Amino acid sequence: METSLPSRSLGQPGFLSDLRAFGAILKREWRIFMRYPSWMIALFIWPLIFPMMYILTGRALSGPDGSGLKVFTQTTGATDFIGYIVIGTTVWMWQNIVLWDVGFSLRNEQMRGTLESNWLSPTWRFSYLLGHTGPQIISMLMFIGITALEFGFLFGVKLNGSVWMILLVMLAAVPSIYGLGFAFASLVITVKEANAFVFLIRGLVMIFCGITFPISLLPGWMQSFAMWLPPTYLIHGMRAAAFSNAGVTELLPDLTPLVLFGVVWLVIGYFTFLLMERRARQTGAIGQY
Amino acid sequence: MSDFAIEANQLVKKFPARSGTGSSSLPSPLPAHGDAAQGEGSREEEGSKKRRRWPFGRKEPKATFTAVNGVDLQIQRGEIFGLLGPNGAGKSTTIRMLCTLLEPTSGTARVNGFDIVKQANDVRRSLGTLLAGERSIYWKLSGRENLEYFAALYHIPQNIAKKRVEELIERMELKDRANELVEKYSTGMRQRVAIAKALLARPPILLLDEPTLGLDPQAARRLRELIAELKQEGHTILLTTHYMEEADQLSDRIGIIDSGKVIALDTPEGLKQRIEQKEMIRLEVTGWHEEIADKLKSISGIENLISRQEGEADLWEVNMQAHNSRAAIPRIVEHISGNGTRLVNMNIVKPSLEDVFIHLTGKALRD
Repeated sequence: METSLPSRSLGQPGFLSDLRAFGAILKREWRIFMRYPSWMIALFIWPLIFPMMYILTGRALSGPDGSGLKVFTQTTGATDFIGYIVIGTTVWMWQNIVLWDVGFSLRNEQMRGTLESNWLSPTWRFSYLLGHTGPQIISMLMFIGITALEFGFLFGVKLNGSVWMILLVMLAAVPSIYGLGFAFASLVITVKEANAFVFLIRGLVMIFCGITFPISLLPGWMQSFAMWLPPTYLIHGMRAAAFSNAGVTELLPDLTPLVLFGVVWLVIGYFTFLLMERRARQTGAIGQY
Repeated sequence: MSDFAIEANQLVKKFPARSGTGSSSLPSPLPAHGDAAQGEGSREEEGSKKRRRWPFGRKEPKATFTAVNGVDLQIQRGEIFGLLGPNGAGKSTTIRMLCTLLEPTSGTARVNGFDIVKQANDVRRSLGTLLAGERSIYWKLSGRENLEYFAALYHIPQNIAKKRVEELIERMELKDRANELVEKYSTGMRQRVAIAKALLARPPILLLDEPTLGLDPQAARRLRELIAELKQEGHTILLTTHYMEEADQLSDRIGIIDSGKVIALDTPEGLKQRIEQKEMIRLEVTGWHEEIADKLKSISGIENLISRQEGEADLWEVNMQAHNSRAAIPRIVEHISGNGTRLVNMNIVKPSLEDVFIHLTGKALRD
């Protein structure tokens, strides 16, 4: 029995359809994320392990009576050296995790074999990359929350500022951190092996952005370079909001460059994606793994 | 709207290739599953375009690898068109261009009347595609979750999607395990989910790339039945395979592709008629060696001799085409007997598609 089939499929293009597709990508990512329960262990252990390395070094250097910490306070203006370090290391972890998670998101899809089947659909291709950020932001917020709780209970780190101001600084940093992740994810589709680049970026953040020390300690040229790295402002702003009770006005010198860098990195991220997507179509890189 | 479901004119795909350091090995533009990777295409160097190798300033020619070399196709609406060829012939590269994953280097193609470069999204809306089989779905999602997800990607309205997902779960006999994670499914079940995904939007055209690859015989047979049903429902199907029997059984017309070119295009019967004046001699031999092949090839009227070992035992299947088998057989027997070689079985058979392929290319399809 032969039946006639309409020449159009059941799909109905439109903004709402694209929005629903984006929602489906977010839901898929969240479901897959929740089905790898080992991340829960990492979520509790990593916030402690990484800063502990610096905290214990700081304790050792401050002498048996902790008198060396006075020098630290004079240099940084921070009375709580543990809180000071934890904010720096948390920002470093954030950038690092984004590079691994978002940066390798398309590459992981490519290796699984699902990148092609996604890109065969009429959905806007950039939304696959955007979709990876949703669960990533949620897990990162959980990471930061657990860090705050662990250091609050175990080390007595106390907040002397508004949580909302801290969140505002973090929000301002989201576009620059994820924009870099988008650009990186796009490059990885064709470059494939990009671990060295992750090591380079996180090394730069570690040395130039002052994760455990004020950047005023750096030589002049390094300080100038640090001004071009968004995490410098994020770390500075978060410390000011958390321990100096800074308000929006005091935070503006950090918020403004963060927003500007965010716009620049989002644009770079988007256009790198378009460029690499085109290049992958020309070279056949989409199907390679 | 075009009269053809798929129409390709002089489609060419060249991949950039790194120049080797004295090695003649071909690059792998699609190393994982693209057939171009296997190296049947041609490698060229564009002598006119030079590029500089940093930091020493040495110039080297820019090499390209031609995976598809001027393919013309006109596929009618409602037909099953089989694209047949060995690994590396250019089948998957052709399909990947038609489904907009690859951009052609030159030439044009229209799918459902839409240009594959300028109207890529309309092309994607018109197609249901099975590429990479079981790897094209998420193993950490259930069968149902996969289908719901892809239904959203294909912009199917929610109420229709829900019914469609249930319909396909039922049709693909996945109902009992639709809520289990795909990682717990068998290969055949995963392939059924992948096919259901291709059918979700009820697209007029289906591109099925090696749909039965890796399936057990029963699952492969069930899938072939399904493909025949889909044709009855009005779908146009472009099927690539390197299984002769599959192409023969399913296809209304077959295009034989080799080294990136369509070298023959006809109905299965039409293709077989091309060599009907020839007879196919099939031997089973033990103790085979290449010197015997040379002797047999020297017999007048014998051509396209192909030998392959059957399993692990010292048993070889030898196929050849003869203009006059009565005259050739005594000489064949004479050459084979002795020196540890023994003729186990001999048949004169009707030409199959594989014989057509051997006749056209001088090599076996699975080489």
